[in-house]
Amino acid sequence: MKQYWLTPLASFFLFFMGATLADDASPKPYQAGDWKSIIKSANGGPIAINFWGVTCPSCVKEMPQWGQFIKNNPNAKVVFIQVDDVSQDSIKKMLNKAGLGKANNYYVAAPFDERLRFEIDPQWHGETPTTITIDKNGKAIRKTGLVDFQKLQNTVGSKS
Amino acid sequence: MNSLKQSLIGISFAKFLLGGIFLFGLLEMANAQMDHSSHIGGSVAKPVTCLGSGLECANAATPFFTADGKLLLSWSANGVVSVAQSTDFGKSFSTPVKITEHGKSLDAGADARPQIVADKQGNVFLAYAFFKDANWNAQINTARSTDGGKTFTSPVSLVNDGSSQRFPSVLIKPDNSIFIAWIDKRLIAAVKPGSEKRLGGAIAYAFSQDGGQTFQEEHFANESSCECCRIGSSLDPKGNPVIAYRAIFAGGIRDQASQVISEKGAQPIRRVADDDWKTDACPHHGPSIAVSGTGKFHVAWYTQGSKRAGVFYANSNNQGINYSKPSRVGAETTNVSRPYLYASGQQVWLVWKEFDGAKSSVYLKQSSDDGKTWTASKILTSTVGYSDHPLLLSRGNEVFLSWLTRDDGYQLISIGQKQ
Repeated sequence: MKQYWLTPLASFFLFFMGATLADDASPKPYQAGDWKSIIKSANGGPIAINFWGVTCPSCVKEMPQWGQFIKNNPNAKVVFIQVDDVSQDSIKKMLNKAGLGKANNYYVAAPFDERLRFEIDPQWHGETPTTITIDKNGKAIRKTGLVDFQKLQNTVGSKS
Repeated sequence: MNSLKQSLIGISFAKFLLGGIFLFGLLEMANAQMDHSSHIGGSVAKPVTCLGSGLECANAATPFFTADGKLLLSWSANGVVSVAQSTDFGKSFSTPVKITEHGKSLDAGADARPQIVADKQGNVFLAYAFFKDANWNAQINTARSTDGGKTFTSPVSLVNDGSSQRFPSVLIKPDNSIFIAWIDKRLIAAVKPGSEKRLGGAIAYAFSQDGGQTFQEEHFANESSCECCRIGSSLDPKGNPVIAYRAIFAGGIRDQASQVISEKGAQPIRRVADDDWKTDACPHHGPSIAVSGTGKFHVAWYTQGSKRAGVFYANSNNQGINYSKPSRVGAETTNVSRPYLYASGQQVWLVWKEFDGAKSSVYLKQSSDDGKTWTASKILTSTVGYSDHPLLLSRGNEVFLSWLTRDDGYQLISIGQKQ
């Protein structure tokens, strides 16, 4: 008899706890070799990858705008990669504050040096924020500094 | 009462059971995800972190040769700042002295490193920065040793200010006085509420006449600078500090500036080059400056300006009023970074880092006529793992490259003789 009530109750608990967990999703570690799989995850569609750091003032300024963009374009493929060597808590805190707690988040586990950047763009020196946009034709544009969200809307927005 | 207790135990047990089921489910999900990602990426996850506080795990190491020829090395590794000494040119080190442990709060950004200098009596002065609050405001702490680096005082804050101070750059003058410059955000923090918050920081500096125990009142050299790049500094023939840094010029242009800090205070801000890099970003890539025996300023820097992009070199024989046309360092098609200069008499050494997709190499080129002509560049050493910036220093007449590498250890390589 007992095992019958356990299943629906367990499902309920799993659902409930799963939902709680999603609110506070941990960023995934980003390491050498991951770039290709991130690009592949777009299935040939447009994608934007934003590199940011919690210690970077212009990133702090920009993150809530990204939060708004994701809210307005829930189907847009956007990946966030945090590159500073800081605690997980501080990353999550800033993501949650910007409304990006449930976004597709990564953090860089090793120093974000020239070796890790090479597969992304050999010429890039790792400024933050930097956003790489890949349009539906596979053309990549690297933009250092604050993003023009209107332009981004045209490239990776819901209506694109 | 008893039955209530029993039912509570019952509930706890059920929770425990459910927790177990839930955990099992999570593990399964994690497994599935790992399998999934390894299929896509085709890469095998390997450990990328080095966990200790020793030199073998350091992200940045700063050298200083004492008057008696001993090498002092200060490094940061996993939030710990340490100091050790070497009497065999970095082959072996004394037991490291831990100065501080800040964990993930230590400023371990790409352009941050502990600063260390010693006077002729062997008194050591050290400075580093850490993040002191949840808003990423930093604090510069200093520590001193009066026994040649065997023991240090407890670190104390350099200035008494609640905003942010970061990126200390320290020089010791021939008269044993200490110069420290840093990026200070108190002017930015003081912007009135309601008005638009501006980005950037300011360049502040101070002197100490007692080995860093106390500093005279700090001054601002430039009220508008990039907030995340190291400051380059060098002494001119008169013993005045000359600094180079990424300033913010009108229109949000973050180009290089040089400035003499004389006994009268900060002299005019001189633009090194019109690169026209309009950006709000953090490049984490500050310049290097070396003043030669003739008083010529030699500056090397990184930019992504609209007028030029890459690493460049220029010099000035009139205290920065005019600079030579910037010349590119390294090949345009390669990833050139972290230039560093050293000068003595009319000799100038310039090193930088290049990454070719497999290894990072330190390149050198040299001038014997105060930067007019240069030798062809050559590779000094390479490594495949993580590496710090290349740095230059001298011991007597010998000039050395100091380079911390993860895979090949700490390297101290003799690269030339002063004439």
